[in-house]
Amino acid sequence: MAAPCRKIINQFVKRSLKCFEPRVIPCRWSNTVRNHTVEKHRHSPLSSTRELVNQQDSPSDVMVPREFRFVHPDFLPYPVWNRRDRVREKLEREDMLKRRAVIDIPEFYVGSIMAVTLADKNAPGKQNRFVGICIDRAGHGLYHYFVLRNAIDGQGVEIKYDMYNPLLLKIEVLKLEKRLDPQLYYLRDAPLEYSTFRLDMEPVSVLKGAQVPLNAIKVKMNPRPWCRRWERHNLKGVLPLDDYITEKMKKQKQHPQIEKPWEKHDLMLKARTSIDDREVDQIMTEVYKRKEKIQKEKFQKRGQEGKREVKKAQEVKK
Amino acid sequence: MFVRSMHKCCRVCLKSSTRSNAFSYFIKRQLNTKTARKLTNEEARHKRNEIFNEERARQLAFITRIEKIQVEHKGPPEDCTLIMNKGLSTPFNCAMHIGELLMNRSVLALVNGKPWDMHRPLIEDCELQFLHMKDENPFLSNQAFWRSCSFILGYVLETAFKNDYYVELCSFPVPNVTSGSFVYDADLKLQDWSPSAMELNCLSRVGQSLRFSDFRFERLDIDASVALKMFEENRFKSEQIPQIAGKSETGSSVTVYRMGDHIDITRGPLMGSTGMLSRFSVTAVHRIESPLYGPLSRVQGIAIPMSLKLHYWTYEFLMKRATKLNPAPIPTAFQAKPINETVNKKGKENDN
Amino acid sequence: MNMFRFPVRNTPRKFKKSFGVGSGPAERIKKLQMLVTALIRNERLEAKESYCLETRGYVEQLIQIAIRNGDRHAETMEKADFWLLEKDLVHKLFKVLVPRYQNYSTACTDFHFLPKKVPGSGVQMGILELKGNPWPPVVPRQRDQGHLLTNVLLSSAKAEYRMEKKITPDLRNGDHDKLEQAANT
Repeated sequence: MAAPCRKIINQFVKRSLKCFEPRVIPCRWSNTVRNHTVEKHRHSPLSSTRELVNQQDSPSDVMVPREFRFVHPDFLPYPVWNRRDRVREKLEREDMLKRRAVIDIPEFYVGSIMAVTLADKNAPGKQNRFVGICIDRAGHGLYHYFVLRNAIDGQGVEIKYDMYNPLLLKIEVLKLEKRLDPQLYYLRDAPLEYSTFRLDMEPVSVLKGAQVPLNAIKVKMNPRPWCRRWERHNLKGVLPLDDYITEKMKKQKQHPQIEKPWEKHDLMLKARTSIDDREVDQIMTEVYKRKEKIQKEKFQKRGQEGKREVKKAQEVKK
Repeated sequence: MFVRSMHKCCRVCLKSSTRSNAFSYFIKRQLNTKTARKLTNEEARHKRNEIFNEERARQLAFITRIEKIQVEHKGPPEDCTLIMNKGLSTPFNCAMHIGELLMNRSVLALVNGKPWDMHRPLIEDCELQFLHMKDENPFLSNQAFWRSCSFILGYVLETAFKNDYYVELCSFPVPNVTSGSFVYDADLKLQDWSPSAMELNCLSRVGQSLRFSDFRFERLDIDASVALKMFEENRFKSEQIPQIAGKSETGSSVTVYRMGDHIDITRGPLMGSTGMLSRFSVTAVHRIESPLYGPLSRVQGIAIPMSLKLHYWTYEFLMKRATKLNPAPIPTAFQAKPINETVNKKGKENDN
Repeated sequence: MNMFRFPVRNTPRKFKKSFGVGSGPAERIKKLQMLVTALIRNERLEAKESYCLETRGYVEQLIQIAIRNGDRHAETMEKADFWLLEKDLVHKLFKVLVPRYQNYSTACTDFHFLPKKVPGSGVQMGILELKGNPWPPVVPRQRDQGHLLTNVLLSSAKAEYRMEKKITPDLRNGDHDKLEQAANT
């Protein structure tokens, strides 16, 4: 008689205790708001931030140099609009400018010859310097990177540097120039002489204010096999590839599914995958203003330091 | 509660000449034998009706030959031209020719751009439009409805009390819907009477029952002398009549309306019939002091028409607001204002 | 942030083959060309919901670049020439539509759902139209009901309530300034 009674009581106690247990809420519902929902409210006229942003960065106030966006492509955000977060982008830009105040990142393009000094605790002198041609620069915001290529001991070497890596000690541009293509990965399938640069190369000076020189060199490729189907890439900096490819490959190249002639006029494709010009202007204005401000502060600091040094010198003389 | 009220109450029978005479109400009140009078409201009403009938018959006798007039109707369901009888046909008769919808919903008519009662005979060739409560801008209909409700409130006050109490109606102000309540100022001859909720409910029911009676509002322009004879028992009205007549166009005419057997002076226009009432409530009785007439009671109420729907919660909320003292001017002398002023007021309300 | 003035899907819709066109991305563009031309010509279009919404993006973009760049811009002219199959519409785009939408801060097209036909194929149909077109409106004009008797009563009650609330401050929140103001008035 006692056993069933106890069972019932146990069940009752369990049930009554259950209501005191914390309810498990799935993490994704608990404290996250989907990005586009947040964006919608940021867009509403009620939000105060939007107006402030517009007041600060109205492009009419400051004249930004037209080529500013090509000099600093790292400030452009990720173009797919539904994955963007405006606040994060703004914070990243702040971080980037802070880093730029510490290290001098010069103007460079794909095709420029650069030297990068990296802190390396295993290297002699705890530093590592690498010289090479920039074959690519990509990535958005704080994750911007560039790739340097050189041939060392008859072996092609490529190193990818994150531009805002705090281990970077120095970035030098030894020869500032542009190439005909936006990426030079085809140098992998070209003779090594095209990607060989002396490690003790001396910097070539460029006149200030002059246009960036364009290196219109045409590379003669190695015969196949290649790492990519270069004949489909419409490369400009390469001598004609007709000798290297078969008739079938030529035909394949002209196939509409590979050529995709309709993408040229697809307005929505362009709108979905690129950043609008007006927004680029807005971002560049913001960056330009902040940069100028940082430079002014730098000058002021230098001036104060200079004065102190002069004073010290005078005291020493006395 | 019920027993207590039974003790002080007495049975009141409503007697109306035409249709309804079976409504009986219990009204709680204090008996005051000192102020008993011989004259009763019922007798006065009877006398007024007789004079009204005589006067109307006299005016109708002038129309010996039926003449035709051309009435051009504009608006839905379609524009049309009607041939009607001069001095006999009313806008309501025109609506009967056009369609049942217009008969049922029309509150007012616009004759040559002027507001015109639904049951007032047409006198010349004219352009006719019908107004209802859901018009694009129903200002005129609203005013007419609110004024009619004040008129009905007068009827309620005259008929709801026992014959021992001779209620003297004074006047009602220009209708103002935004004030939240319609008003009738009257001398109830009841000192220190603050009505309970139940008593107010009883008063409301007298008005509410008119919806089923479906009385028409009949208009009659009469001479001031006839009006004085009609209202000789009412000290307020007999004082007001010469002033009203003086301000009229001819200088000696007074406009009188009849609903069922209740007759009152008002400039009009009023709505077509009492069938348009949906809910009617008497909400409060306030004591006011008039410099000219002495202590008076300001009776307030609220009503909504049949064509507009309102949730009961919302209606009760509005009722609560209608219990506050209405800020309309206290009757001192003649208050009726010329028609131009109402037109200006319309413009003002539109702006708001 | 997102410069679109209308809701946009992340991925484009694929079209099935229909009258005059086959399937696939190339034929999709052909179908869109026909739809864009028809919309600019007639200013109103009745089609499947998917067709309407895809066309909407292209028409909006075309008008936007026409407004931004004008008719002296070679690339814009090329785009207009590609998307408008009937060439007199290029003139209409620059001379009629650009002045009409120059000062708009909203989208220049409107989309309305149509009811599904029962019995029928169950396809969702819709109406796409350019704003400011000469046709009668799709959605009838709503009457202003503020002057109805009940609404006049309610709005005046609301105004009175607010006035009272303004005068009698909320003491729980410690609105002593308001209390002083009320005392002064």
